[in-house]
Amino acid sequence: MHKVSDIASKCGQFSQAPVQSLMPLPAPYDRIADLPPRKVLNQKVLDKIDTSLDGFSALGLARPQTRKEEQKFVERFLSGLEKLLSKENNWTFIEQLKLSLEHCARCQTCVEACPIYTASGHDEVYRPTFRSEVFRRLVNEYAKPGGKALAWLKGEHVELNAATLGRLLESAYRCTLCRRCAQACPMGVDNALLTREVRKLFSMEMGIAPKEIHEKGSMLQLRTGSSTGMNARAVRDNVSFLDGEIRDQTGLRIETPWDKEGADVLLIHNAGEILAWPENPMAFAIILEAAGISWTMSSELAGYDSVNYGLWYDDAQFARVAVRQAEAARKLKVKKIVLGECGHGHKASMVTADRILTGDLNIPRESALVLLRDIVISGRLKLDPSRNDFPVTLHDPCNMVRMMGIVEPQREILRAICPQFREMTPHGVNNYCCGGGSGFAIMSGYNFEDWRFSVAGRTKLKQILDAFADCPSPDVKKYVCAPCSNCKGQFRDLFQYYGVWEKSGILYGGLAELIVNAMADINQPFIKWEFH
Amino acid sequence: MLTVMLISVALVVFLAGNLVRVVKFLRMPSPLRWELYPIPKGPQERQRYGGSYFEDSDWWTKPRASSHKSEAVFVLKEVFLLRGVWENFRGLWLWSWLLHWGLYLYLLITLFAIGEALLPADAGALVLHAALIYGYRLACPLGLAGALGMLAMRSWHPRVRAFTTRTGIFDLLLLGSIFATGNLLLTTGPDGLHSMIRGLARFPTRLGNHSVTWHLHVCLVAFFLAYFPFTHMTHAYMKYFMWHQVRWDDSASVHDPYAAKELAVNLQRKTSWAAAHIAAGGTAAWSEIVADADGNGAGKRA
Repeated sequence: MHKVSDIASKCGQFSQAPVQSLMPLPAPYDRIADLPPRKVLNQKVLDKIDTSLDGFSALGLARPQTRKEEQKFVERFLSGLEKLLSKENNWTFIEQLKLSLEHCARCQTCVEACPIYTASGHDEVYRPTFRSEVFRRLVNEYAKPGGKALAWLKGEHVELNAATLGRLLESAYRCTLCRRCAQACPMGVDNALLTREVRKLFSMEMGIAPKEIHEKGSMLQLRTGSSTGMNARAVRDNVSFLDGEIRDQTGLRIETPWDKEGADVLLIHNAGEILAWPENPMAFAIILEAAGISWTMSSELAGYDSVNYGLWYDDAQFARVAVRQAEAARKLKVKKIVLGECGHGHKASMVTADRILTGDLNIPRESALVLLRDIVISGRLKLDPSRNDFPVTLHDPCNMVRMMGIVEPQREILRAICPQFREMTPHGVNNYCCGGGSGFAIMSGYNFEDWRFSVAGRTKLKQILDAFADCPSPDVKKYVCAPCSNCKGQFRDLFQYYGVWEKSGILYGGLAELIVNAMADINQPFIKWEFH
Repeated sequence: MLTVMLISVALVVFLAGNLVRVVKFLRMPSPLRWELYPIPKGPQERQRYGGSYFEDSDWWTKPRASSHKSEAVFVLKEVFLLRGVWENFRGLWLWSWLLHWGLYLYLLITLFAIGEALLPADAGALVLHAALIYGYRLACPLGLAGALGMLAMRSWHPRVRAFTTRTGIFDLLLLGSIFATGNLLLTTGPDGLHSMIRGLARFPTRLGNHSVTWHLHVCLVAFFLAYFPFTHMTHAYMKYFMWHQVRWDDSASVHDPYAAKELAVNLQRKTSWAAAHIAAGGTAAWSEIVADADGNGAGKRA
């Protein structure tokens, strides 16, 4: 068993993350030997980047090559630490940060709540309190007066070197910020918050963040309007193409309204849906038109993409995107923003940005699940549940459910239109993360995907398989309803990695697609039972 | 006399230390929301599954139901039954529960004993007097058993052993010693501990002859009082902030007349985050940082 101070060890890999220790899965996924081989990094890469935490690299952090470089690296970290603990630089989260730093009893009551720690076979490096404890000790020793003497006295000394920092940073990307551990803590300590603050320090002070969520994520979104890189013209072209697809598939003539001033609803999708799961925005267009909703989409910068990756790692990026999304709505004078099936987009806009969007930027924001529930329950659509007569289970995206309390609307819909709906165990606010949360679903790093599938997504996969335990045959087609783009991205990759479609016949998709699939006026099934 | 002075100084440190801690948190800037469900507010039906007002269409137009009763029930279960530990770490629960109840009883009975001592002699009812004595007789064994059990858990249980710090052991030894000397005092006479509190509560200028155990117990309690505000044990009351101001704070700015004012203050704060996409080595107000859409480093221009 490792000691916390071992994180500073200059030799070797901190954890081997052995596959033999992984939590067992039910058949036919029970043979560890059947797992796809892990990607082997060549020596040239290993010499260049830091993989000393567990052999995986989410960030491709370059190792300092000289003593001077290491010293500079440590100095920049200490400068960031000081800012993280100041009101001026961190007014956004300093209260939560200090409360969680100062009141942990180290009782470990929270640890079994973590799906990553348990799925790994209790690998210490993934224990939710491990990185928090390292960070807490660094704060106590290096950012408080008399810290060094007290650290020696208390036996809590942690050497501050490049190895410590490299491992701390990588370990901050071994937590999906699902906050199950925070739910379990009797004090209210939030390890996920501490993890996010570590990520924030590295991003805001040192400019270090995974390229997928920073350069190719929030920076790209602020520059072009979307983290997909689609500018206004591209998104309109693509949606216009989808309007054509709707016509071809259903015979319905729908023209998605753009920039309609005074509309009741500004619908903001996760723009990734338009490219990766076009059936979801198509389904929304069909439902909203059939229900007679006055709606529009916006072609303003960030007005057509609900993602806000800053939520996971950077307050400045977070605030910039949130404000631009609200500005798009203000310009159109819409009555409300409705957020499409994107979990973190929901939380970013409706909860975390709430105290940033005041005055005329405080355009009311609502979940699409609520609007869909109202439409379905109101009877405005003619629905035939027998069209959805296949086993369906529901994944609860952490951001919508555990962090927003949107639990029942999606269930009301499924109970109304899916005769074979069944819950996972546990579900609702206690549900497990998909394993792709906090940006993981779009991150590949160097070999990060191997970890994301074999460890981070393992508990969720088990939960899904258990929900369909009464019909395991691939001949029985089954559906995991995941009303979140990020979660769908994780399911796509996770299912592919384990061969879930071939071995178990389980497909994943959104909620709106199930509603359209049940619409009696549409002749052909909307859901295509093809894995993609 | 030294013993009396010690406990007096400890009390002052205890009160001042805790006050400073609370005031520090009250003066924190208004942070961004970071709530976590279930939140014991709103209609009972929603509380059952952890739902929120976000489940309502046009939620910002609806009146917000708030139930202090539900919050109180939740807190009482947490404080007196240690619900969180029971649900998530059953092996630790018994020892933690014993330790906490030992502390609660000791504190409660001591407060009553001080009250009794400060009242006129004939005001102390016989029943109350007896209850206080039996209270101590319950508190000390409970607390000692809890501290010893926790120490054992900390020493061998694989879930906690690697994360047990010297401070953690020290805290348990300290509490264990207080309860152990308390137990010893209980054996010296029918109301040994109670008469000690009564004696001290009157802040006597002279103390009578007392045993070494008596002095040791008072010194340990004094040390604990002075030490407490600087430890994680302040979770006893800081939990209020952690639950009410973070985990359960779902108040929307649309219903908060002060939100815009607080934001204006926060946006004027100067930041010096050094990354190229923020202040880039300079200093800028948060309002400038947010306005800098291309992320080229607002600090350069400030």
